Amino acid sequence: MIYLDNAATTLIKPPQVERAVREAMRSCASPGRGGHAPAMRAAETVYACREEAAALFNLSEPERVIFTMNATHGLNIAIKSLVRPGARAVMSGFEHNSVSRPLAASGAELVVAGRQLFDGEAVLEDFRKKLPGASLAVCTHVSNVFGFILPIYEIAELCRKYSVPLIVDASQSAGILDVDAARLGAAFIAMPGHKALFGPQGTGILLCCGEGKPLMHGGSGSDSIPQHMPDYLPDMLEAGTHNVCGIAGLLEGIKYVRRKGTGNILAHERSMLGIMKRSLEGSGLELFTGEEQCGVLSLRCPERDCESIALRLAQMGVCVRSGLHCAPTAHESAGTIESGTLRFSFSPFVNAAQVKTACGLLRKII
Amino acid sequence: MTQYLIMCRSLTKAQSSVKLLERAGITAAVVKAPQNLSSGGCGYAVSLHRKFDEAVSLLSKNNLLNGKLFRRMESGEYAEVFR
Repeated sequence: MIYLDNAATTLIKPPQVERAVREAMRSCASPGRGGHAPAMRAAETVYACREEAAALFNLSEPERVIFTMNATHGLNIAIKSLVRPGARAVMSGFEHNSVSRPLAASGAELVVAGRQLFDGEAVLEDFRKKLPGASLAVCTHVSNVFGFILPIYEIAELCRKYSVPLIVDASQSAGILDVDAARLGAAFIAMPGHKALFGPQGTGILLCCGEGKPLMHGGSGSDSIPQHMPDYLPDMLEAGTHNVCGIAGLLEGIKYVRRKGTGNILAHERSMLGIMKRSLEGSGLELFTGEEQCGVLSLRCPERDCESIALRLAQMGVCVRSGLHCAPTAHESAGTIESGTLRFSFSPFVNAAQVKTACGLLRKII
Repeated sequence: MTQYLIMCRSLTKAQSSVKLLERAGITAAVVKAPQNLSSGGCGYAVSLHRKFDEAVSLLSKNNLLNGKLFRRMESGEYAEVFR
């Protein structure tokens, strides 16, 4: 099998991730629910993961690392913390449904800024025009469809200038690009644990740098008498039992990323991207590429359904994603809403031979 | 040896406090707080036996001191320590 669907989830993980999950299943109880050894061991694991994440994302307070089920969960907390009645929300033209759907459900007036694929300057200019007077802004760091790296630090600077709280969707960048919470100054940064942080599915992180509001209410293991959630982090935003086994795996995943270095990971993924682009030259496929791109490549074949190509590739053992990738806004921006695209996405566990083999099979199919 | 408890607002705060103290060479541990000392019900505390004043000062400087302080008496009861 050649697994090239890492933008959805990284299937191949560092082996220590699985070991940690197994060990936690055997030895960890619920953190904050007791003083006995298995509960305290769970608490230590969870805290270690908070510390590791805080170090990776340059956050001084580990309690601002909130564990969620996934990025969608974190984005819902963030959006619902900031949206007020009559709010005007600005989002980029490359957002995932995990952003656009909660915004739509909130009843906020929705303004799309920056639909120019692989043109960071134009995106920034559009944000500059649309941010003044906005109640909040939501922007993905990297498009999950095209791998387009948006100028997030410059957008964050604009948000600060216009006093607009910013939510960053770091789903495709956490573990690959520099996501610096202190430098961004965003209110919230949401990410999944199961993509480039190499945790299991069911894990996610929300960096809460602003004022959060509980999305769910329930047990927190603290201040049990009052019938409202504690007013301090992380307890305020973490109702219910933690996914300790998942967090144990995520801890090892983040350690792996810190050891390897995001710069090296990005360089490897870009190297795979380069090989793929060269391997498909002259193939007649339409490749969506640009300078500001990380290890995600979308393409389409004239007059061929991307789903049927993906199915043929799957039958040959190549795993890719096709369709709209839960991001219709991004496809509207790129003019691919009718066709969808075929998406190839890399990771440190993808090698050049695999990419070349996948390209050879793709050429045969088309 | 006298045991001191520094009450914490949350388990995470207690863990952050212990990390800070350990980095300063002060041995401490996170413990579940006795029920009668937890004003809101269910709480955690930092337990230590030495360098209590130094620990309190360090936690205060780092904005980690938000709860009451207790000393365990020979009877097993806890007496609040006022500073």
